[in-house]
Amino acid sequence: MTREQRQTMTRITHETPPVRLDWRHHLTETTGILIAVILGLMLILSLVEPRFLAAQNLANLLRSASILAIISAGQMFVIIVRGFDLSVGATMAMVSVVTAMVMANVPEGTATSLTILYGVGAGFAAGAAVGLVNGLCVAYLKVHSFMVTLGTSSIVVGLALYLTNGIPVYGMPRGFSSEFGRAIWGGLPSAFYIGAGLALLFWVIQNLTTVGKYIYAVGGNFKSAVFSGLSANRYLVMAYVISGLTAALASILLTAQIGSGQGSIGGVLTFQSIAVAIIGGVSLQGGVGKIENVCLAALFLQLLTNAMELLRIQSQLQAVILGLIVILVAANDIRKTRSV
Amino acid sequence: MTTATSPRSREFVATVKLLTFPLLILAMFGLFAMFEPRIASARNLVNISSQSTYLIVFALAQTVVLVPRGFDLSLGNAVSFTSVATALALTSSFAAGLPGYAVVVLGLLTGLACGTAVGLFNGFFASVLGIRSFIVTLGAMNICYGLSATISGGRPVFNVPEAFTTFFYSGTFAGIPAPILWTACVAIAVHVVLSNTVFGRTLYLMGCNPRAVEVAGLPRRKYFAIAFVLSGALVAIGALMLTARTGTGEPNLGGNLLLQAIAAAVMGGVSLSGGRGGVFHAITGALFITVLSNGLNFLQISGYLQQIILGLVIILAIALDKSRD
Repeated sequence: MTREQRQTMTRITHETPPVRLDWRHHLTETTGILIAVILGLMLILSLVEPRFLAAQNLANLLRSASILAIISAGQMFVIIVRGFDLSVGATMAMVSVVTAMVMANVPEGTATSLTILYGVGAGFAAGAAVGLVNGLCVAYLKVHSFMVTLGTSSIVVGLALYLTNGIPVYGMPRGFSSEFGRAIWGGLPSAFYIGAGLALLFWVIQNLTTVGKYIYAVGGNFKSAVFSGLSANRYLVMAYVISGLTAALASILLTAQIGSGQGSIGGVLTFQSIAVAIIGGVSLQGGVGKIENVCLAALFLQLLTNAMELLRIQSQLQAVILGLIVILVAANDIRKTRSV
Repeated sequence: MTTATSPRSREFVATVKLLTFPLLILAMFGLFAMFEPRIASARNLVNISSQSTYLIVFALAQTVVLVPRGFDLSLGNAVSFTSVATALALTSSFAAGLPGYAVVVLGLLTGLACGTAVGLFNGFFASVLGIRSFIVTLGAMNICYGLSATISGGRPVFNVPEAFTTFFYSGTFAGIPAPILWTACVAIAVHVVLSNTVFGRTLYLMGCNPRAVEVAGLPRRKYFAIAFVLSGALVAIGALMLTARTGTGEPNLGGNLLLQAIAAAVMGGVSLSGGRGGVFHAITGALFITVLSNGLNFLQISGYLQQIILGLVIILAIALDKSRD
């Protein structure tokens, strides 16, 4: 038996569930549960802890939730094509450092708007580059995405720390940090508007464009996507590039908020983004996942974190709880696809 | 093609293939020694062999789950967890005044309990519930991180008793340093299990063709879970050796170990898609990584650059893994 036949056989018997769940049913169920849980959590929190409703707390909550939703949106595309991007945290570190270094080193006398443009442009370029390398390796070496992204994350973090010697990079214009990163526009944090805009863009891509449909097709069944004449590898690579870009966007927002370029940001965010995607109903079997549920899941996770902080639960214990949640949701995902 | 050649020449080709990688390590070592003669000194050779022991144990732990087509991302944080829990048990008032051998037994039991508990957790979810192993171990990685940071309060646990450090690190038995002796025992045990038991051979079959395991009537799920438990026990032994070496229970002990263990196993020739690789591969892979980082340290390459190089090695290992098929 050739390796190819063996692989096909394995895939048929073990990886692909015999019948796929109707995703519309899946969608309504996930959305409904998430909204109910979010409202319940908010109600309990506002009753138990009045500080929860303070304007500052809500603004912080919304800002972190938006940033988490942006990263998770990229992760969602990668999981839809049956991959995992373990390098998002590393990409964020790299982008933060690159953006800050470019802004701090533009020639004296450059206009503030141009300085910001160069910095942000360099940041996006760095993010896209990492995504492209990940995508090309996964598509053409045909190996597990998490091995590739584990390798690239080591390289990228090393690079970020090597460029800065581990020291934060200061010297960004105020117009970028205090007037944008920490700004509140119309009662809502700036990051929220950007997150909402991105969510809208991704909703349009997923629901109204062929690109979105092709990405689902490639994730749902790679072979049949190829047999229907799609250049499947192109959409595979595209998913990783999107993930690199969203990580870059999130990193730029976080860098603006902190006010310095840090080679250490993004630590727990990789795992959180995977957790958010899975909680948001993105199936580990590929081909299923909706941006609106991912956004709700990001809000839910940030609410949970906020609740644990207000209730003074140690932050390390949060990692334990998050780990358990992910495994349970993954188990539920398996049960669903099996029982149908 | 290979099928057309005689068995003897096929054997010859296999031997040559097996020896290529060790020769490559020697060549790399020679290259480093040309730049820095101290690398070839007897003292450094002893140093390299004792340094590589830890990585060999961790690479073996990763190999045991890679062979049946699994994966363990929780390795690094499981090491931290085991280290902290064992150190806490050893320094607790309960352990005060215990005789030396009892301290060693207590440490060994605590460590193995922690390691196998993590392995059992991974094995249960990966095999009984059928979740992909690296999602399970990604969750376990966070749980272990949280547990080790919580029980230690984020600080190292000092005053690990001397009887423990002597037994696992500084002592010699019949002239052999403890880490080398224990690693040799572990390697032989794993080799026997992988090559000479039904369980071990089934793991290889599982990696090549999981369906065939079921057709043959072998307990696929049970063996897959046992592979994780065995891997957890190996992680625990490595963690105990490392704890004895540092003399403290470290919540950050795991740091780069996950990447290094994977790089070592895959570089040595353990297949990422299962079914290929064994003790010999794990040992040569670990030696490769140790010789590389030892040489880079001597040449005073920054730790950040070394991290970049480790990442490149992983990508290279993946590419090699593909080309071997």
